[in-house]
Amino acid sequence: MIPDEPPPSSLVTRARNRDERAWDMLVERCAPIVWSICRRHGLSRQDTDDVGQSVWLRLAERIDTLREPSAPPGWLAATTHNECREVLRVARQRSASGYSSSPRAAPDGQLVPAEHPLVIAERDAALREAFATLSPRCQRLLAMLAADPPVPSTEISTTLGIAVGDIEPGRRGCLDALRHCPALAELISGETRTP
Amino acid sequence: MAQQWWQDDDQLLGALAEALGSERNVPAEFIAMGKAAFAWHGIDAELATLSYDSVLDGAELELAGVRSEPASLRYLTFTSRELTLEIEVTDDAILGQLVPPGPGRMEVRTADGTVVTAVIDQGGGFTIRPVPRGSFRLYCHAASRTSVLTNWLMLQDPPGD
Repeated sequence: MIPDEPPPSSLVTRARNRDERAWDMLVERCAPIVWSICRRHGLSRQDTDDVGQSVWLRLAERIDTLREPSAPPGWLAATTHNECREVLRVARQRSASGYSSSPRAAPDGQLVPAEHPLVIAERDAALREAFATLSPRCQRLLAMLAADPPVPSTEISTTLGIAVGDIEPGRRGCLDALRHCPALAELISGETRTP
Repeated sequence: MAQQWWQDDDQLLGALAEALGSERNVPAEFIAMGKAAFAWHGIDAELATLSYDSVLDGAELELAGVRSEPASLRYLTFTSRELTLEIEVTDDAILGQLVPPGPGRMEVRTADGTVVTAVIDQGGGFTIRPVPRGSFRLYCHAASRTSVLTNWLMLQDPPGD
């Protein structure tokens, strides 16, 4: 993700005017939302593709009439969530009726996520958006600290040219900056209001 | 109140790691599919819904179009307010008929954004050869009528399955 990317609303306006590049950027930006909601519903890869296809097509068909140009992330999350539920409902119905030309239902154990997939997807989206607005220095530091497997402190120190002892304060400062990015601050204030 | 995920540095970093990870894990094909959907932007048509499918009994009609069934000959009917589209699927082609008859242009629009066009003759007949692979919709432009778009259908599994 690059730091100075245009906001979703301007991408929507450009896509409405047949700017395909803007649409592509919108898809790149929002694909993790659609993808992660499908995965959290425990959908198979095939079902995830089907849901993704249907969601993108609906956005393409409706992008001209979305009332709020800044709405795509929320609209996509809600639409994906509904499509996932529909896929699972049809799969359950089929297995109940013995109609199983393609058994695609996910194992039952995966159907109940610990947290609402919509909530997680929105949180992820807000975190990514906030992260994108951080200084390049903070982005590099946090990316290394968040890496799996962990990056050793000595390597972080060498790569960023800072002392090992400065990593911890840097981490604190950058996480604090992250918390105060508008995208995340908005989400946090929302969660505080409705616990 | 218990500590929230954003208040604790470790939890916040964990959430960030997960958010960045979920972005990295999205397969390129999944993103490409979303980009291809732009071909559907600006489509304005009346929907023609599946009203008959020789493969399915009435009771199972609501499940139609979900997955293909191998059948050498299959008849399908799509109905909109003004137009009925009758198609016959053979091994190598789709033979179609508009009711009421009239000339026009038929587009086969697949999910990946490709569009193939067939001519609808004066008698309302058209032929699509070969049978499209994967999901597609028929987008019918009959002269002097509202354009009509069918539901998605899949007659042959997509390439690579």
